[in-house]
Amino acid sequence: MDFVTLGGNLLGVIPLGDIVLYLTPFNLFLFAVLLGFTLLIALSKPETQVEATMHYLYNTEVKVGPKELKQRRFLSIICGIASAGAMITGDLFNFTLFMALVGILNIGIVSAVKQTSVLNSAFNYGLIAMMCSLPLFGGAAIILAATGTLSLAVLSQMPASPMVVFGAVLMLIGILGESGVAPFFASKAEMFRTAGSPYIVIIHLSSLFIIVRAVEILLLVLW
Amino acid sequence: MRIGALWNKLAEPKNIPRLFAFSLGIILVIGLIVPMALNPDQLYVRPAPQEQIDDGLAIAPYDRGGEVLTQPGSIHPQYPENAASLGMITGYMSPLAQFVSSISPYFGTSIYSSPGGLIDEILYYTRGFDTILESSILMMSFVIASWLSINYTMDRKNDKKEIKEDVKKAISESRKVANEVKANDEKARAKQLRRDN
Repeated sequence: MDFVTLGGNLLGVIPLGDIVLYLTPFNLFLFAVLLGFTLLIALSKPETQVEATMHYLYNTEVKVGPKELKQRRFLSIICGIASAGAMITGDLFNFTLFMALVGILNIGIVSAVKQTSVLNSAFNYGLIAMMCSLPLFGGAAIILAATGTLSLAVLSQMPASPMVVFGAVLMLIGILGESGVAPFFASKAEMFRTAGSPYIVIIHLSSLFIIVRAVEILLLVLW
Repeated sequence: MRIGALWNKLAEPKNIPRLFAFSLGIILVIGLIVPMALNPDQLYVRPAPQEQIDDGLAIAPYDRGGEVLTQPGSIHPQYPENAASLGMITGYMSPLAQFVSSISPYFGTSIYSSPGGLIDEILYYTRGFDTILESSILMMSFVIASWLSINYTMDRKNDKKEIKEDVKKAISESRKVANEVKANDEKARAKQLRRDN
């Protein structure tokens, strides 16, 4: 499928050697929304949770300490910028790199928490993210071997061979695991159950946006 | 098995990496029957295997020709217009590399000894943005690792609240166990009594 059919008129390109970033209304909208949200995160204060205690007459307050806040805010801002970059990139390998960066930042944002259950699920998600690097980069490499190019503009004009389809399926399972879509959601869903809301929400938002972009990229490659 | 039990198993974070590894394995096995062939029309093209070795070139199989700063070597980027002076340093070799390649025919067989300019041109010129991203992934993992090693979030040894809760839990659990043992004891005794009578 063509860029123009999916994203609207091509408004311009940012050439960085062989990696060319594309600016269509669709991609620019996603990019702007993510950057705006990142700005909100950088300015906002984290939320505090109150945990009720069974059998006893007191509640525990789960707060984000100043040191933890700094670390998590820094990582969430980088996470927002990385997912915004993934929205406008025009290169397959570049996209998988952004995806890997977002994956490792997601672990980082929750690794600063002190709750054992959250750390445990973050560890399990980390295992998945580690495994995901094989299908993500392997899929991009197989598509490169089959077509001889990584540029999405060129790939969108090429017919899909069985090898390209297999590479795209590999990439898809990598993206599914990394962004925690069903049935691989449990470890990522458990990670959200902690205080510090805007930083937690960027994990969710980045995987949501990346799934949308991944669908666009798979359509470009396969159709 | 009922489907509810299956969903409950899927909600356990511990099971998710196993499930993911299993489904990835299935897809990789399916990949064995997919016809695979290298498209010869590649970016950053390289000559056919053995071709340069049969020709007896000193830095086979990575000889791409070109003279430093005068004549570009043979590289085919995706967008040549974005990399106007590509290929100008492809042929560059350090004096040591020149010496080794003059006495040995096997110099080019390892990637780190391939003509140095080529890797630089791809890493820092045509695909420079990828290199920036790769090193930022590395930097972020160092940031996370150093935070964890300084603050050690998994440490529960000196956490007084945690210890208190653990003790409470242990007491209530041992009480529960004791009660169960007592109940079982009484049950068994009653059984024995019944049998005796």
